[in-house]
Amino acid sequence: MKEVTLDCLGEACPVPLVKAQKALEDLAIGDVLIVSIDHSCAMKNVPEWAREAGHNVEIEEVDDGEWEVVIEKAK
Amino acid sequence: MLKKFSEAVAKNEYYKLWFKDAWPYITGAVLLSIFQIVTMAVSGNPWGVSTAFANWGAWILQALGVSVEKWYFFSSEGALAVLDRGLLQDPASMRNIGVIFGALFSVLIASGFKIKKIKTKKQVVAAILGGTLMGYGARIAFGCNIGAFFSGISVLSLSGWVFAIFIFLGAIVGSKLLVKYFM
Repeated sequence: MKEVTLDCLGEACPVPLVKAQKALEDLAIGDVLIVSIDHSCAMKNVPEWAREAGHNVEIEEVDDGEWEVVIEKAK
Repeated sequence: MLKKFSEAVAKNEYYKLWFKDAWPYITGAVLLSIFQIVTMAVSGNPWGVSTAFANWGAWILQALGVSVEKWYFFSSEGALAVLDRGLLQDPASMRNIGVIFGALFSVLIASGFKIKKIKTKKQVVAAILGGTLMGYGARIAFGCNIGAFFSGISVLSLSGWVFAIFIFLGAIVGSKLLVKYFM
C-alpha cells in the first residue's frame, strides 16, 4: 500500500482536479493519494469527483485556508 | 475563555452550515437571482462587473492627466456621465467594492484566509495573459460573464444566449490548452 502526496498549494481551479485525476490513474487499488490544496473551490470539486468515482475520501483542515484531501483508491 | 468560545463556535452546526462549509450551488443560484432583481430595481441597470474596472482605469488615467474623454469607448454620453459622477456615485463600482469586502469577510469568518505563494513563473505569465484577454474580450463583447451572460439571459436578451454558446466553446478550447501547456 503506497501513499503519495500531491502538492497543489498555490494552484487554482481546475489544475488541482486535473492533477489529482492523473495522479490517481497511476496508483493501485488500496493506495492513498493526499492532495494538498489552498484553493477553496478545489476543496469542493476534488472531493466531489473522487466520491463520485467511488473512492474513499476524507478532508483534513491543516491550517487556515489549507486542506488535505485524502483519497483511497477503491477501484 | 476566548479559546473556549472559539472552540465552541467552531463546533457549532450552524456556524459550519452558514459560514464554514461552501453553500450548495442551488443556494448560490437563488441568491444571485434575487440580487440581480434587487440590482435592476434599485439602480435601473442589470448587474455588471467589468465595465466598472474600465472606469477605474479611466479615473486613474485622468488623475495622471490623461484625457480619456475622446476615446471611443468613453465618448458616449452615458459613459461620460458615469466618469463625471465619479467612483462614489457609480453603483457598479460600489457593488464591486462590496463584493471584494464581502469575499474577504466570508473567508475571514470561515478562518480560510491565506496569502498564497506564487509557485512558478508560468502562473505569472498565465495570470497576466489571461487577465488581459479577459479584460479585452469583456470590453469588445460589451460585457463579461455577468453583464453579458447572466444579465443578458435574465432580461431575456438573445445576446446572452449567443454569449453562453460561445463562452462554452471557449471554455472547452481553454481547458484543452490549459491541460496541454500548464500541467
